[in-house]
Amino acid sequence: MYNVLQRISSVTSFGLSALMAMMFAISIITINMSNNPDISVKLHDIKITKGRPDYFDKTSRNAEFARLTFDIDADLSSMFNWNTKQLFAYITVDYPTAKKKNNNVVIWDRIITKKQRSTLRMRKHHNKYLFRDIGLKLRDVEGAKLTFRVNSVPYFGIMQDQVLDSYDITMPQI
Amino acid sequence: MGSKVTSKPAAVKQKQSIRQILSQILMVASVLTSAFMLWKGLSLATNCESPVVVVLSGSMEPAFYRGDILFLHNGYSPIEVGEVTVYKVKDRDIPIVHRVMNVHTEDKTNKQYLLTKGDNNPSDDRSLYNKGQLWVEREDILGRVRGYIPKAGMATIYMNDSPKLKYAVLGVLCLFSLVSNE
Repeated sequence: MYNVLQRISSVTSFGLSALMAMMFAISIITINMSNNPDISVKLHDIKITKGRPDYFDKTSRNAEFARLTFDIDADLSSMFNWNTKQLFAYITVDYPTAKKKNNNVVIWDRIITKKQRSTLRMRKHHNKYLFRDIGLKLRDVEGAKLTFRVNSVPYFGIMQDQVLDSYDITMPQI
Repeated sequence: MGSKVTSKPAAVKQKQSIRQILSQILMVASVLTSAFMLWKGLSLATNCESPVVVVLSGSMEPAFYRGDILFLHNGYSPIEVGEVTVYKVKDRDIPIVHRVMNVHTEDKTNKQYLLTKGDNNPSDDRSLYNKGQLWVEREDILGRVRGYIPKAGMATIYMNDSPKLKYAVLGVLCLFSLVSNE
């Protein structure tokens, strides 16, 4: 009545659907699991320099670049649950300019894959990526903010973005 | 008399088997079309040409590995910084899955200038763009990654790597669906 192939196919199909159901349940349960990360970013200094040769971006020659110096104290261990594969922690500078109402530039990031390494203590750190505007000027910028964000990637399920903390900063005028 | 009795069931049997074959073919066709409809429906709901993609490269490791499946949603809202997006550079065939690192949104038109980077790459994607292109725009974004399943797309990678395997699997599947009852 039932041959071997039919048995194999029904066992695998049941197994796969059970696996899918379990993974679906896990991904639902672990959304918005409570977390209270502890963040503090302290900005020391912003220095603006002008001009930098860049093979791909010829406008860099006349653009202003900002070099930030900052401290990070962060404890992200509470953001790890049993469905967290990695945290992508990053700091952006968010600012408006005359022509662009919203600019977000990532200046630093860190990929954290283990709970043991989720405590950050960094002193006098500089931006990892160049910080320049799409226009050339950074000196005129007002209302800039330094924002610490985390994007968490699960083993299975939904990616989540979180803004953890935000600080007002002033760009040097001279 | 005897021959009449024996021939009648044979004729009935033959008719039934033709019907069976036809209904079998119809069933296969309905499975194929419903799968296609589901795909297109999902595509409409997410405003995304292909809402399910398989990762082909290791440039987003350790978040995504080769063979992982990503579920995309495009929508109409502006892109936000830090999102992982799938974009296609104009006149290129292969879409790229990378993270948005810079966002510049224009005041009146809401036009967005985006710069992307793979988590596992040392520098941004300007070397992947067209010559002289500095930014990716909103129209180039095919989708934003929302959901994730590991390793489930490995089969499609194997099949794309060797077309013979693809046709063998397709042939066997078609044979099974036509031969098996129910």
